[in-house]
Amino acid sequence: MNRDKSDEAFEAEILPQLRPLFGMAYRLTGNAHDAEDLVQETMLRAHRSFDRYRPGTNARAWFFTILHRLRTDALRRRGRRPETVELLDDGPPVAPAHEAALTSGHEEIARALAGLPESFRAAVVLRDVEEYSYAEIAKMLDVPVGTVMSRIHRGRALLRKALGRRPE
Amino acid sequence: MSCEPERVTALVDGALEGEERARIEAHVARCEVCRVQAADERALRARLRALPAPEVPFGLEQRVRAKLRRRHRWPGTVRALLPLAAVLVLALWARGYAPFVAWELSRDHDHCFGRPRLPAQVWASEPDLLIAWFDGKGDRLPLLPSTAGRLALVGGRHCWLPDASRAAHVYYTSDDQQLSVFVVSHGVRMDDDFATSSGGNAVALVRLGGRVVGVVGEDHGDVSAFVTGLRTSVAALGTQGPAPASLPAS
Repeated sequence: MNRDKSDEAFEAEILPQLRPLFGMAYRLTGNAHDAEDLVQETMLRAHRSFDRYRPGTNARAWFFTILHRLRTDALRRRGRRPETVELLDDGPPVAPAHEAALTSGHEEIARALAGLPESFRAAVVLRDVEEYSYAEIAKMLDVPVGTVMSRIHRGRALLRKALGRRPE
Repeated sequence: MSCEPERVTALVDGALEGEERARIEAHVARCEVCRVQAADERALRARLRALPAPEVPFGLEQRVRAKLRRRHRWPGTVRALLPLAAVLVLALWARGYAPFVAWELSRDHDHCFGRPRLPAQVWASEPDLLIAWFDGKGDRLPLLPSTAGRLALVGGRHCWLPDASRAAHVYYTSDDQQLSVFVVSHGVRMDDDFATSSGGNAVALVRLGGRVVGVVGEDHGDVSAFVTGLRTSVAALGTQGPAPASLPAS
């Protein structure tokens, strides 16, 4: 494939994915500036390895995989792994105020989501916002399916807790 | 059966199959805590799904395109230049490495003496003439003898070495032997002297008056005798001065 052709193909694949990619980057980094840097870096990395991308496969998942790997590497370089916390119990034993949760605005849940440890947040967003299967998420995050299940479970338990504490 | 909260999460996500799925479904039907968990998680999922995507900064697409375009111009060039850069770094390192310098000088000795006619730029049997010629080109030669044993001074030239440095190359010949004296234009990592065999020649590198001088010949005895003579005359008369008529025979 000559360079121009390959560039056209790359742009055709990538540009429609900018919005979800930015969304994911924003959810991971928590601010627009770092999110944009992460997206740009993902684009460059993807562009460099575009010859390994098989057309017709899930472009978005491929970009998410690269994005997540870059993010993990960046955190590691800064001496910080994506945090994981020990969850002592599995969330409130009784129902949180889920009617309230269902009716309140987006801001509250967005804030609760932002408060999750990053490894849980990535798994929850990939599942609940992007609707990937456990197997797909496992591939993107490069962890076993059991770990995906556990992270989603713990992430949701923390969200239930955070939302349940909301004053009525 | 005790609660398996992670499996309840998997059930909500449709990630269970067959017997396991039936087992967890049956449990959830009987267990209030797990039923609440499942209901909460479904509600959470709905809320998360409904979250509006963060707004993409204005101009992101243009910035990404621009960045990709900018990259194009460079990576190819940069990638093409990488081997060259590696060679340069290696050359800079090798330049000061005594065995490499010895190899370069041995190779150049063979190169010049391998020609049908010696490629001298200056022909002189008098050291003063030769020293003056190199002086005019900015190279200070050590005090050279006009003869050394059967070897006699015949001339010299500037030679380019593989590390892209220029060395003053002085020729001595006899009926059946050749000997080269080089003044290396850069530093070499070694103690006072270094002797080796390289490319079938005997090579000695010595420090004389702050410069590195290389002597290359076919025979170790000749080379070391020549070096000893050079050292002695330099020690006696300074780095450059009236040339001794000859060095003792080796």
